[in-house]
Amino acid sequence: MTEAAVVSADAVGMRFGGQQAIDNLSFEVHDGEFVAIVGPSGCGKSTTLRIVSGLATATSGTVRAHGSEVMRPLQDAAMVFQAPVLLPWRRTVENILLTAEMRGEPAAAHRERAGKLARLAGLEGFERHYPHELSGGMQQRVSICRALLLDPSLLLMDEPFGALDVMTREKMGFELQRIWTATRNTVLFVTHSISEAILLSDRILVMSPRPGRIKTDIPVALERPRSVETLKDPRFGELAVTVREQIETT
Amino acid sequence: MNRVTKWSATCASAGIILVAWETLVRRFEVPEYLLPPPSAIWQKFWQTLSVQLEEIAFTAATTLTGLLAALVVGVLLALVVTYVEPLRSIVLPAFAAFNGIPKIAIAPLLVTWFGLGAEPKILLAFLLGLFPIFVNAATGLSEIEPDVIDLARLSGGTEFRIFRKVRLMNALPYIADAMKVAFPLALVGAIVGEFIGGNRGIGQLILSGQFNLDTPLVFACLVTITVFTSVGIGAVAVFERVFLGWRLSQRRR
Ligand SMILES: Nc1ncnc2c1ncn2[C@@H]1O[C@H](COP(=O)(O)OP(=O)(O)OP(=O)(O)O)[C@@H](O)[C@H]1O
Ligand SMILES: [Mg+2]
Repeated sequence: MTEAAVVSADAVGMRFGGQQAIDNLSFEVHDGEFVAIVGPSGCGKSTTLRIVSGLATATSGTVRAHGSEVMRPLQDAAMVFQAPVLLPWRRTVENILLTAEMRGEPAAAHRERAGKLARLAGLEGFERHYPHELSGGMQQRVSICRALLLDPSLLLMDEPFGALDVMTREKMGFELQRIWTATRNTVLFVTHSISEAILLSDRILVMSPRPGRIKTDIPVALERPRSVETLKDPRFGELAVTVREQIETT
Repeated sequence: MNRVTKWSATCASAGIILVAWETLVRRFEVPEYLLPPPSAIWQKFWQTLSVQLEEIAFTAATTLTGLLAALVVGVLLALVVTYVEPLRSIVLPAFAAFNGIPKIAIAPLLVTWFGLGAEPKILLAFLLGLFPIFVNAATGLSEIEPDVIDLARLSGGTEFRIFRKVRLMNALPYIADAMKVAFPLALVGAIVGEFIGGNRGIGQLILSGQFNLDTPLVFACLVTITVFTSVGIGAVAVFERVFLGWRLSQRRR
C-alpha cells in the first residue's frame, strides 16, 4: 500500500481505572471511505472515536492519522454526537460557522459555503432560525453541516441519529448518503442500527463485547445510491443476518 | 393575555388600592404621622423633589460604584475558579463561609474603619452585590456541555477563542440575571450604610423624616427609591432585549 491510511489504529488498548474497556483493537480507514462501527452497548465504540480524534489518549497501542501519530486533538477532524449540541444564542448559519471561527478564520469567508451546506441539508428558509425554533432532526442536520463546513479530512459520527424517531432516522440516513455523495469525506460512523450501517457504509467493523476489539470486518458491496429499494435486495438481508450473528455470538 | 390588557389590569388594581387607601385613611381620620394618604405623599414628593433628586443621586452613585466593583471582581473571581483548578477548592469554601456572615451586621464596623463618607456605603453595596454575581458568573462560565468544548477543540479552537465565543456568551444571561438580584441588594447596602452614619443620601433623608415625624417625607423617599430601582432593572431588561434576544424568544415558548 503506497498511500497512508487516513486512520490506522494498531493494537489500541484503553483502561479506565482497573477496567479494560478496549483491548488490542486494530483497523484502518482509507481516504473517501465510509466505515461503520457496530457492537453491543458498552463495548467501547464512543471511546474508540475519542481516541481516534485525539480527544482521549489510549493507554496502549498507537493511532495514526495520515501517517503521523495522534498526540492531541486532530485539527482537521469533525465530530457529530447523538445530541446536536448547538449553541442556543446562534442562528442556524452562525452555528454552522462556529467551526471556522474556532479555527480562527473569518466567518465571512465561509458564509457562502455554510449557506450552500444548509441548502444541501434541506434547511433552506431556516438559516436565520435559532436552535429552539428547529425540530430535533433539523438541529441534527445543522450539526452535520457544522461538521462538514471545513471539509474535514475525517468525519466522526457517534450515533448521530440515535435520538430521532424511526421514520426521521431513515430519512436522515438517506439524506446523509446524499450529502456524503456530494462531499466524499472519510467517515467513521458508530450506530446501533444494523440496517443503517448496511445502507450507509462501504465496510462494517463489528466490535466484540468489553473489552472491545474489532471482531470482523464486513465489506458492503451494494451499489450506490442506496434507497428503500435496497432494503428488498436479497444481499441486504444476507448482510443483515451476517452482521447480527457477528454481534450476538461472543 | 396580551400586553395591553396586562398593563391596564396592573394600572387598574394599583388605582383601586390607592383610592381605597385614600378613602379609608380619611374615613377613620388616621393621623398623618402614622399613615399619610396617597395625596399627601404625592404632594410631599413634588414639594421636596429637588432634595430628593440630590440625595438619590448620592445613593445612586454609591450603589452603582459598588455594583460595578462587584461585577468586575465577581467575574474575575469566577474566571479564576473556572480556569485555575487548584484555587477552586480554596475560593469556593471561603466564599461560602463569607456568605454566611450577615453583611449588614458588619456595617457599623465599616463605619469605624472607613468613616462617614461614601467609602463604607460603596463597600456595603459591593459586598452585598458580589455573591450573586460571582456564583452566577462561575456557573455560566463552567456549565457548558463537554461535547461543545470537544467540538471546538477538534476544529482547532484555542482556550481564548473558546472563552470568547462559547463560555462568555454562555455566561452573559446568567450575569444579567445576577444583576437583577444584585442591584436591589447593593441598594440595600448603600441605604443601610447611610442609616448608620454620614449626612448624605436618601437613607439620611428617610431618617430625618422619621426624626421629625414627617411620615409623608418617608413615604415620598420610598417612591423615589422605587423609581430608581425600576430604572435599574429596566436597564438590565434593555440589555437583555438588545444582546440576548434569542433567550427572550426561547422563554416565550
Ligand atoms: N471517562 C470514563 N471513565 C471511566 N469509564 C469509562 C469512561 N468512558 C467510558 N468508560 C467505560 O468504557 C466502556 C466503553 O464505553 P463507551 O462509551 O465507549 O461504550 P459504547 O460502545 O460507546 O457504548 P454505547 O453503545 O452504550 O454508547 C464502558 O464500560 C464505560 O463504562
Ligand atoms: Mg457510545
